[in-house]
Amino acid sequence: MPIHEKSLIRPENLVTHEHLELDGVDVSGHWSTFITSRAVTDYNEQMQEEIASLPGGEFIHRCWQCGSCTNACTINAINPDFNPRYWIYLIRMGFEDELLRDKDILWQCVSCNRCTYACPRDVNPEGVMKATAHWLELKGHTEKKPSTVFDEAFSEQVFATGKIEDGRVLRQFFARTGQSLFQDWLVQMIRGLVSRLPVGLLMKLGFATLKRPRTRGWADASAAIEEYVEECEANARKALRLDMQGAE
Amino acid sequence: MSRPVLVVGGGPSGLSAAHALAAAGQRVVLVDKADRLGGAPILSGYAKLVPSGEWARDAIGGMVRRVETNKLVEIRKGVTVKSFTGSPGDFRAMLSDGKTVEAGAAILCTGFTHFDSVNKPEWGFGTYPDVVTTTQVEQMFSSGKGVRCPSDGREPERVAILLCVGSRDRQIGREWCSKICCTVSANIAMEIREALPRCNVYIYYMDIRTFGLYEDLYYWESQEKHRVKYIKARIAEVTSDGKRLLVKGEDTLVKRPISIPFDLVVHAIGMDPNIDNMTLSAVFDVKLQKHGHIEKASTYSNMSESSRAGVFVAGAATGPETIDDSIAQGQSAAMAALALVRSALLEAAE
Repeated sequence: MPIHEKSLIRPENLVTHEHLELDGVDVSGHWSTFITSRAVTDYNEQMQEEIASLPGGEFIHRCWQCGSCTNACTINAINPDFNPRYWIYLIRMGFEDELLRDKDILWQCVSCNRCTYACPRDVNPEGVMKATAHWLELKGHTEKKPSTVFDEAFSEQVFATGKIEDGRVLRQFFARTGQSLFQDWLVQMIRGLVSRLPVGLLMKLGFATLKRPRTRGWADASAAIEEYVEECEANARKALRLDMQGAE
Repeated sequence: MSRPVLVVGGGPSGLSAAHALAAAGQRVVLVDKADRLGGAPILSGYAKLVPSGEWARDAIGGMVRRVETNKLVEIRKGVTVKSFTGSPGDFRAMLSDGKTVEAGAAILCTGFTHFDSVNKPEWGFGTYPDVVTTTQVEQMFSSGKGVRCPSDGREPERVAILLCVGSRDRQIGREWCSKICCTVSANIAMEIREALPRCNVYIYYMDIRTFGLYEDLYYWESQEKHRVKYIKARIAEVTSDGKRLLVKGEDTLVKRPISIPFDLVVHAIGMDPNIDNMTLSAVFDVKLQKHGHIEKASTYSNMSESSRAGVFVAGAATGPETIDDSIAQGQSAAMAALALVRSALLEAAE
């Protein structure tokens, strides 16, 4: 029978000393490998409040750990390490180190909201996943995801002009993520468009690409949106006790 | 006129039984070993009661006054029953003050005894002054002094409430659930959060048994409105690092040992059978059930009967019970006793 506790030992917690003497006993080398304590020595009450202050995280404190969200989860069915129930607990207790171990899979939520409809306490786990991904970014634990870069290019354009010019979004996305604009699929798609679309429509597209028309009277709306976005971001940074410039 | 009904114990069920009997025109002799009526809620200084939120001194105090001012109720305080002989309709009780009471029936409303936390030494009660019981926290509220650390009077910044202290524990021969401690703890946790908003409250539980309507009114409310945190763990040990208390156990969800500093640790103590139950059993010739509570003769046909005809039982004497259910059982026992003494009267008239 394998020893279950062995599975709880993490490689980074194994310590071997090349030269160490304890009370006159030589404990150097592999045969005297130490295991660092796994004991949790404190809670961090602030962490739950931070997540709760971000959009989507408001109801995290309702969770009673029944696991309905994880059982309902689309991603969990594919990747058993994707466990919203567990992450909610880590946040509630303030076990930041444990949460950060999963920072590279936490963003995989596809927002299908099956958890939302399964949750008996209306925690809104999907919202908590969003808030947590946001929190990881704001705290500087994760880099901007490609999808965030795309969202920024997209929304910047909407805020500025009230319109979307797909070509520009794509160009900005590829430029900002350091990718070539000449993607095979894109080249093929444009060739197809050029050969199939009526000339009049092509000219219209070309005009939009070059002239970047705005929605008439957009300036007021644009200013209002900018103000609101800034307000939201300032609130989030304040709640996370970050300075206004950036993470860290 | 029929003989009086002897009510033993002046807590919620005894007060309720005495009042119900008197309301039906029946004479009552109410004896209590304490020098005051009111039972645990008054003698132990409970604060606001579940679920009404009324202060114990108002709610139970009102019941006491109602009985004390009733001419049909004769009250004997500071007195115990030494012997109880005779048959239904014709009992004779000898009291510890040497007097006798002729009674048609008796109702045992003898309640419970709070679990003594010293019997779980690993949880630090009696060793560290800042380990207290739910009863002590109730007293902190009812005295108006508020929740403070007994060691130095400071306001606690983090409080742990340990559930099932003296309940559900074969190690100490207490295999029952004390029924009320989960709800009482949720209530106390909310009161602490209201009084000291900067203080975080953690409840360590095995199961949460805020039964019936207490589910959302206490359990959910404490989590959702008051941000009380519930952690599934049975604590192994309460020690001290010299400054604060250390609560040690296993966090079952992260599979890691915990050793968390707290300012105040509260034992949610359970309800033991009344410490006098062996004596009561001998004096009244009633059986005790497996856990040491007074045995009920039947579950359904008449819930107030004990194993001896003419001796009825109500409230926490039969097992852990809420105050409102104890009151209902007191009325139920009054009804049963009344039927007995009245039928004895009718037979005598024939």
